[in-house]
Amino acid sequence: MQRTYSQLQRKENLAGWAFVTPALVCFLVLTAFPFFLSLFLSFTKWNFLSGWDHIKIIGLRNFMDLLKDKRFGQALINTFIYAVSTVPISIIISLLLAYALNGKVRGRNVLRLGFFIPYICSAVALGAVFKSLFREDGIINMVLVNMHILDMPLKWMVEPSLCKIPIIMLIIYTSIGYEMIIYMAALQNVPTSLYEAATIDGAGSAQKLWYVTMPMISPTTFYLVIVRLIAVFKVFSSVNIMTMGSPAINNTSMVNEIYEQGFVKYKFGYASAEAMVLFVIILVITLINFAGQKKWVHY
Amino acid sequence: MNKSKKVMPWVHMVILGVIGIVFLSPLVWMMFSSLKTTTEVFSTSFKLLPNIPQWHNYVFVWQESEISMLRAYGNTIFITVFGTVVQLLISSLAAYAFAKIRFKGKNFVFFLFLSTMMVPVEVTILPRFTLFNTIGLYNNLWAVILPHWFSATSIFMLRQFYMGLPDDLMEAAKIDGATHPTIFMRVMLPLTRTALVSLMVLAIVSCWNEYLSPLIFLVNTKLYTVSQTIRWYMLDDLQRYELVMAAATSAIVPILILFIASQKSFVEGIATSGVKG
Repeated sequence: MQRTYSQLQRKENLAGWAFVTPALVCFLVLTAFPFFLSLFLSFTKWNFLSGWDHIKIIGLRNFMDLLKDKRFGQALINTFIYAVSTVPISIIISLLLAYALNGKVRGRNVLRLGFFIPYICSAVALGAVFKSLFREDGIINMVLVNMHILDMPLKWMVEPSLCKIPIIMLIIYTSIGYEMIIYMAALQNVPTSLYEAATIDGAGSAQKLWYVTMPMISPTTFYLVIVRLIAVFKVFSSVNIMTMGSPAINNTSMVNEIYEQGFVKYKFGYASAEAMVLFVIILVITLINFAGQKKWVHY
Repeated sequence: MNKSKKVMPWVHMVILGVIGIVFLSPLVWMMFSSLKTTTEVFSTSFKLLPNIPQWHNYVFVWQESEISMLRAYGNTIFITVFGTVVQLLISSLAAYAFAKIRFKGKNFVFFLFLSTMMVPVEVTILPRFTLFNTIGLYNNLWAVILPHWFSATSIFMLRQFYMGLPDDLMEAAKIDGATHPTIFMRVMLPLTRTALVSLMVLAIVSCWNEYLSPLIFLVNTKLYTVSQTIRWYMLDDLQRYELVMAAATSAIVPILILFIASQKSFVEGIATSGVKG
């Protein structure tokens, strides 16, 4: 009996490993190995075009240089600005939309469809559209001038003080659909009895949103903040396409700098060091997520 | 009181409808601009509709030009099909093992996979480039396809789904002498169809819209994907924005059709992958 049991277990082990092997191989080749190679490269000076022989280990020098690198520092600040502007704004808009669409609203499905569409559209295609809308002779300027909000058309993509705005708008535009869908699912889990009780107590729509809905869906809000922060820290396509591949110091992002150093200048060592900084930031956000989940998620 | 109750839903809908129209106006503008002439797109007397619809903008983008959208579609469809199907197959196998097979080292492997959630593609793209370059995948569509084969998200979502399937099904099959491959193929896999459809739609969208990876690996214009084609028209010296918009519309339309056709599984997929974290 003992023997048959261990034989069975051996069979299970074999089957288990056979089933995970394809995924494991892909994981090792596509994620684990590149990750450690990236870590190694961040301590080297290496121009990709010069070949493996010319790789030089230089310790922490890349990271020291990063501290002095004004452009990377600015990219880091810009990325932070993208994150702290787009995440709260888009989350507030999506919550209001989801709240307005919750329950028996006429045309609910069509409206939901409409608001969701930009999320699934190619960021490159939408970037091309936004780039045109924000041109000096584009519609945004035309409308603002005709409404006498502006005296003169603005150079949205050129002015250092303005050139982040079109990108921020694009990121908000593309993220609303996703956040709204998640909120709509979460709102359905809020028991209607709570709203009924609030109605009896004389609460209006806004009060119900603030005192009933908000606390009940706080885990969803937390989840969305984390997911969106991670997504915005990785922003690349929107910036790349709206700046035609050469972002200015005032609107470049971290991944755009990694791309620039790596695939335009082929400085793989330095670019890997930049990638490691990005990795640490995302790691920190993920750890906050793990820590926060225990406190926030109360179901 | 009674009257206002009847009117309110309509007011509500109209306000939301107006917001919805404003929200979608950039896309509408894109579609109409793709049918205009170059001067019309940025003409100062603003008109939404083109004077005469310039359908040949599409003919140009799809056939005549150096970079044809037709070929880009072919390339992108190839990437999407092989990226999506293999990803779902590999993920299903792993998910089944994690949910239904008791094997040594399961938790360790699962933890390894979990940790990749913290390593974004953008961090590993440089070494991946060196790796693929060494094995001759530079300027090769497979360089864009392969990274889609491992998806921690797909594995976790499918694992959740498999865990929800009763073990009795498996035990019954085992008594009949079935082995894991048979149980997986005959009993379990067919039951995950709804989850697979949701994941497939999400994977299709992410393959179709991908930008960074093709930009790095596919330099030969014959291999350009849909996203790269849009970029090519934007960088073109002639600045023909109507062609950019025709390319952008061509990129968005198939995804719109897919979305409208599969709205339910789409929304379900996103909501289930989201709400429970």
